[in-house]
Amino acid sequence: MTGEVILRAQGLTRHFGGEGDLVARGLMRLGLAKPRPVVRAVEEVSFDLHRGEVLGVVGESGCGKSTLGRMVAGLLPPSAGRLDLPGGVATGRGAGAAGQGGGAGTANGTGPTDADTQDRGAALPMQMIFQDPYASLNPRKRVRDLIGEAPRVHRIAKPGEIGTYVQDMMERCGIDPGYRDRFAHEFSGGQRQRIGIARALAVTPEILVCDEAVSALDVSIQAQILNLFMDLRDEFGLTYLFISHDLAVIEHIADRVLVMYLGRVVESGPTEALFSDPAHPYTRSLIEGVPRLDRRRKVFAPIEGDIPSPLDPPSGCAFHPRCPLAVARCVSEPPALRDMGQGRLAACHLAGAPSQTDATDTEGETAWPATPTG
Amino acid sequence: MAPVLDLKALNTGFFTAAGEIPALRDVSFSLGRGEILGLVGESGSGKSLTGFSITRLIAAPGRVTGGEVLLHGQDLLRLGPEAMRRVRGAKVAMIFQDPMMTLNPVLRIGTQIRDALLAHERLGRAEVRARAIAALDQVGIPSPEARLKAYPHQLSGGMRQRVAIAIALLHAPDLVIADEPTTALDVTIQGQILALVQRLCRERGTALIWISHDLSVVAGLADRIAVMYAGRIVEIGAVDDLLDDPAHPYTQGLIASVPTPGRRQARLAQIPGRMPALTDLPPGCAFAPRCPRAQAACEAMPAMTPAGEGRMARCLYPLTGGAA
Repeated sequence: MTGEVILRAQGLTRHFGGEGDLVARGLMRLGLAKPRPVVRAVEEVSFDLHRGEVLGVVGESGCGKSTLGRMVAGLLPPSAGRLDLPGGVATGRGAGAAGQGGGAGTANGTGPTDADTQDRGAALPMQMIFQDPYASLNPRKRVRDLIGEAPRVHRIAKPGEIGTYVQDMMERCGIDPGYRDRFAHEFSGGQRQRIGIARALAVTPEILVCDEAVSALDVSIQAQILNLFMDLRDEFGLTYLFISHDLAVIEHIADRVLVMYLGRVVESGPTEALFSDPAHPYTRSLIEGVPRLDRRRKVFAPIEGDIPSPLDPPSGCAFHPRCPLAVARCVSEPPALRDMGQGRLAACHLAGAPSQTDATDTEGETAWPATPTG
Repeated sequence: MAPVLDLKALNTGFFTAAGEIPALRDVSFSLGRGEILGLVGESGSGKSLTGFSITRLIAAPGRVTGGEVLLHGQDLLRLGPEAMRRVRGAKVAMIFQDPMMTLNPVLRIGTQIRDALLAHERLGRAEVRARAIAALDQVGIPSPEARLKAYPHQLSGGMRQRVAIAIALLHAPDLVIADEPTTALDVTIQGQILALVQRLCRERGTALIWISHDLSVVAGLADRIAVMYAGRIVEIGAVDDLLDDPAHPYTQGLIASVPTPGRRQARLAQIPGRMPALTDLPPGCAFAPRCPRAQAACEAMPAMTPAGEGRMARCLYPLTGGAA
């Protein structure tokens, strides 16, 4: 079901802090201020996004999943790394403006284009759906303006046809077009999220970046919105980068999954394989820790410890202080993301190759069937 | 064995210019020693309000208008303010969703524990310190002595929630009401808190009401589940019975909308529409407008009727248990 590569991220990195503004730098030089700590929010994340697929990004707070999403959506320039769109879709406001006559649709023939990291405009082919439908809609605008503004500015619909265009978008997203003159506060959370989706779709994006898009919703409403995402994918051939902390949601909707921990991808692979046979101990403990309807009155056996601060990440493998299987090597040497075969990657010294294990424990061997390494 | 808590036909309303808004109606259940009840529902269903009604923490214009809250046979609704103060924190304790809101940001952890201890007991300085350290230790906080000096913002979310739990358990209450205490936490931290609460309640025989919107969390923790909808309990029963074989169509809808492994990318069953506003409830069953099984008779409010052993459901056409 997945097509060609539509977006390729190579070594995407984002650091926050460090330099500081002019005053801070001045004070630092005078010895009046300490150098500001650097938060390594995202470190060297690479992935391909194929047309029509849902790539899930899962992890706990501080793992960098939202920062990654904002970089992909063009809201935040990466500190390092590249974001390529090999399919030749328009990138950034510059390309969109250049192709005004043709609108901001696809393929304006620019060929492989680097995402301009300095471009302040959000790339039209990539739209973002945010977590909080209460905060992401302008409370002073009516629904028809919330949805209609971007297509009008970008001339996606003719000025005279904006009204019908907005109504069409509303209908597709399951909002009664009769409500087009209402304000956002007059809707429930689920309805607002539908407005947010309609607003994103109105500029005919190719990729939707959904950052915890269903996390704030009640279960029954969450099911409605997840179904809507799947319907829209079929209807428009959309590609999703779907970010969530909720493993059940990710397992349900994603074709492939990236698991992040403290800014790095620790494991990635096709959803079913990853969930049925996780290669990284962190992935495994996440999956085992997630409450499920069929896990009744279980004795919870959680992994110990807190998520470390991204300001002061542990040495070696960032997970080693909490890892039940950690050996000496995990403390000193950060594991590289290794190919585990069948489209899977894992960043664990012990994963998939019992022969490499220093202090081999039998449990490790039985739990991780040797996967051919690439 | 006499129940720890017996809730009988509790009614709570909010009094506005437009009249009374019926926020809770006919909420009844009982809870035995050491029992864990999961109280489940969507936003606005009245699950948190049930907790606040039990502890009488409803602010005006809200008021408990009827029913009984029997704690070991004593009706809390009839107690005076001073007697109620002695119950809160000592016999009934609450844990809230956001530990940052529960803990005072300008007081050290040790001070807050001391205040909570002295509110109900006369203790010397050394005793207070020993009790505080023991309380932090039993909820798995590393180096508890050092933590007594910490302010809440110096602790992580999970650690703060542990402090809140430690304070709730200081006086070995008979009943703990936990209002979504893991909703704001990460998956691995949620697992830790669930394990902790589960262990402490089992060890001490504390009855627990665990309020949550998340059926999956409750499935792993509770002995029994009560499902609320629009201010009423619509179904109550043992975890396995209720989840495997729901009687009320709303319960069934809730279960079906949870993404389940093995049904990847299948369409989730969705309940059409949404919960009606409390100001605009239909006269009969509040779920009827969304219910696939609704018939004309549903325009009258159904009573809670037995639907199998230990099961009650508020439905004229339940999916199981007798009447079809």
